[in-house]
Amino acid sequence: MFALVSSGFLSRRGALVLLLLALLAALATGALAQTKESPGKRLEAIRSQMDKGQGLFVAGNYAGAAEVFEAGYSAYPYSAFLFNAGVCYQKQNDVDRALAKFREYVKVDPNAPDLDKVNQRIAALEAAKATALAAAAAAAAAAAPVGDAGADADPDAGALPPPPPPPPPPLILPSGDDQNSMKSLVVIETEPDGAPLRIYQRLDANAARFVLGAATNPGWKEVVATHAPANLTLDVGHYHVVVEKFRDFNASEADMAVSPGHVHQLKANLSQGEFMAFLRVSSNVIGAHVWIDDKKKEHPLWGNAPHGELVPGGKHDVLVEAPGFEPFLSSVELQHGEQKELEVRMVRVGYGVLRIDASAPEIKVRIDEQPKGVWRSGEEPLDARFDSGSHKLTIESDGRKTFEGTIVVPRGQILPVHAKMIPKYPRGPAWTQAIIGAAFLGAAIYVGSESNRLYDQLQSDRANGSLESSDDRATKGKWFAVGADAGFAIAGVLGGLATYNFIKDPLPESSVTQGKLLEFEDPLKARPVAHLGPRKLPVKNAVAAEHGPRFEFKPSASSNGGGLFFGGRF
Amino acid sequence: MRGRLWKLSLLGGLALSASACSWSRFDDVVEDSPVVLLTKPNSMKAGFGVTLATATNGGQTELLVGGTTNLSGAALYDVGNEQAPGTTSVDSGYCSSGSCFLSSLMAGFANASAPDQVRPLCFAVGSGTVLQQGLVVRCKDAHEYTLDMPPAAQDFLASSIAKNQPHDHPMATDRSDDPLLLASLPEKRLAWFYPPKSREPSELVLPDDAQADDSSFGRSLAVLAVDGGRVLALGVPGKSSVFLFKTEAGSQSRYIGCLGENSGLGRALAAGKVDADDNDDLVVSDDHNVHVIDGAALFELPETTSGACSFSSLPKAALISSFGCGSTSNLSGCELSEFGAAVAVGDLDGDGDGEVIVGAPKMTVRGQENAGALLVYDADQASETAFVDAKFISSAESGDELGRSIVTPHLDKRDIIAAGAPGRGKTALFYCSALLPHGAAGSRCP
Repeated sequence: MFALVSSGFLSRRGALVLLLLALLAALATGALAQTKESPGKRLEAIRSQMDKGQGLFVAGNYAGAAEVFEAGYSAYPYSAFLFNAGVCYQKQNDVDRALAKFREYVKVDPNAPDLDKVNQRIAALEAAKATALAAAAAAAAAAAPVGDAGADADPDAGALPPPPPPPPPPLILPSGDDQNSMKSLVVIETEPDGAPLRIYQRLDANAARFVLGAATNPGWKEVVATHAPANLTLDVGHYHVVVEKFRDFNASEADMAVSPGHVHQLKANLSQGEFMAFLRVSSNVIGAHVWIDDKKKEHPLWGNAPHGELVPGGKHDVLVEAPGFEPFLSSVELQHGEQKELEVRMVRVGYGVLRIDASAPEIKVRIDEQPKGVWRSGEEPLDARFDSGSHKLTIESDGRKTFEGTIVVPRGQILPVHAKMIPKYPRGPAWTQAIIGAAFLGAAIYVGSESNRLYDQLQSDRANGSLESSDDRATKGKWFAVGADAGFAIAGVLGGLATYNFIKDPLPESSVTQGKLLEFEDPLKARPVAHLGPRKLPVKNAVAAEHGPRFEFKPSASSNGGGLFFGGRF
Repeated sequence: MRGRLWKLSLLGGLALSASACSWSRFDDVVEDSPVVLLTKPNSMKAGFGVTLATATNGGQTELLVGGTTNLSGAALYDVGNEQAPGTTSVDSGYCSSGSCFLSSLMAGFANASAPDQVRPLCFAVGSGTVLQQGLVVRCKDAHEYTLDMPPAAQDFLASSIAKNQPHDHPMATDRSDDPLLLASLPEKRLAWFYPPKSREPSELVLPDDAQADDSSFGRSLAVLAVDGGRVLALGVPGKSSVFLFKTEAGSQSRYIGCLGENSGLGRALAAGKVDADDNDDLVVSDDHNVHVIDGAALFELPETTSGACSFSSLPKAALISSFGCGSTSNLSGCELSEFGAAVAVGDLDGDGDGEVIVGAPKMTVRGQENAGALLVYDADQASETAFVDAKFISSAESGDELGRSIVTPHLDKRDIIAAGAPGRGKTALFYCSALLPHGAAGSRCP
């Protein structure tokens, strides 16, 4: 498709010339097909700028609104920005800057339908300014000293400074402007281009519906007569757009309601004799991918939200997807020439991804006690998908303290987790003490048992009258008892030391650091943009849409003369 | 599971620690022990506990422990009372000189008629020379004298002394205050006795047909005090015979018969009150059994001239009981234990009736072969003799041969056991008996 939207300050013919020159330059240099900004995106940017300025104006931030409109005009020189900026200055009583903007508006858009109104506004402002200046001069004169009266006064009085002049009266500009004063940008296109346009404004709210071909349409006034494509700055109001009979195409018409500070787009498909509808899809997820009538996503996406385009009237399926969000699918019914905005509120998916790495050569990750993988140093972080919510995270690494904790998995986002794995405190001394202590304990138990056994024997022998006083088992058992006690004492000391050294741990526990939440990677980002302008969508009983680049040279003839039509799609 | 084991181990350790920490309990358990070993004096040349003799007078009891026959002397010990037994010798001069030959059987006197006066607590310990040659007697007061022997024995002693070829003179007394002393000279097949309060020997005469010509003649002797008289028993184990005599008064004796038929009969003899009457009874062992014969019945035997030896000549009911070796969980090896190598009678429980103590010096004790043991029988049962107790040394060692010699010193109101274990030179006093009521024997016994 042709990729330029005509600017309001250029004449139609001049725009066509510029367009042809641009295309020829592109072909000559081999720079194919793609301008820096597609018409759709450009129009969306204009729309965004206009909406932003209108929002500030409604909020009473006239300075901010003026700044936005000025910037909008710098980037996209449409006269609506100039007018709106002038209104903002006027609301600030900045008469000079307001006059400058209105004068520039008249200059760049001499065919504006509201030219008379703007000139009247300029005149009113100039008059108000003159009145204010006169009042100021009078006030200054009244405040100035009269003749030499002052010279006869007390010479001492001459030492006093003259009193300051009174301040000029404040400049009060007419300020009946409200949000409906903002002008809107209206873009009207035809397929094919060049069709003659007439735009009628409804002056009487009670006027009957506009009837094409009627002798008169009371309450309606023709405000614009031009050819498509046209970029117009229009007041708020109801309009009727008529595409007159052109070549072999019949006339078409459509109603249009212009709201304040907006960008409107109309396109007439003359082959079908109908105006196309305008659909804009916005989302709480900026950049969400939008497909129209392509549930299976077999074709390139329609656009990224917010995105608006002309679409054929009728019912359309809208599929909106964004990584990390549940797909949104809805049907939209559009009338011919209707403009509709579909606001999609996307909901994040019920799962998230943990992206785990660590300060260890190798870690083993378990979630809710289930193994989830092994990560090794030098590899990409381990991604693990889980249902959102709290999960028990366990990270193990040889020779390092195990991390156990609860982690909250976000919905539809990636949570980077870096585990700081602290080496285990060496337990060698503790084990040594424990083993030696156990050996002493075992020996003590053995000799203690032997001591008890000998004592029991001696007791038994004493009971049966056989024990003799010099029985060496008494001496033996006594030394066993001493040895057992010593063994128990040493084992106790070593056991205490071992316990202390098992418990002692000056090193901190392993921990995890959670990074800033990341969005899911968008696989479509790597895909080339498949089209630069509004895609010709399949329409019932319509010629099948053609895909792929196409260049076309076609002879053209009209009452104004003949020529060669050159067009293309990239 | 592991935690529970740790806890059990810990508790076990603490329990063991608590139980084992008081090592002083070993001092307590051996304090006042029921068995006391006597200390062998350094002057004892060879052996200790080979032969024993005891004498009691006026509440004082002495124990004489002899060494190897003919080679060593004997040492005297004050048995004293139960709490403070004398474990060291009070006099080791018994038959300690080179002119005295220790007998295999010594005899104790409550009172002995010494040449100058009656002396208490004397012992006939052997043969030799004091002032004259004869049987050597030494008293508690260290006075020594000799008793003349029959001429043949006296001549033989002179010859032996001259040739320094000692010969054994076994001796025995009864336990009366004025005992009769019976002696023998096996080499000459001579036996004689000294009536109470007399130093004159009276020779025993065997029937002509008596089969007594054996070197074992008189190796075992016993004197029974019966109804004012005495029954003299003279064993000839080589001939499986025990010849019996009796005396009533004066120096006359009459031959009243011979016990025989059982192999090895007469290996050991002992006298004491076993049954309920006041007369001594005779205890005699053979190769396998021990027999208890009523002393009163023997005393009633008429004089005879027959040298035949048998049990059949005994009157009915004269044989009180006969019993063989018994064993316990600590003792084993009855067959080769030399059961009956020594016998004694003592009133171990103080009930007036004596128990028979039989030595088995080759008995295996707790796996210690030939450690030896003493088996105690309550033989006064009218119907059946009961094996009531077994005595051994808790520190028994292989080769002790406890029970090679046995006497029963009198202590207060009862008798205790003194037994020799000459194999390793031990002599032990056994204070306790299973027949004693609990707590009736002081702190040494349960």
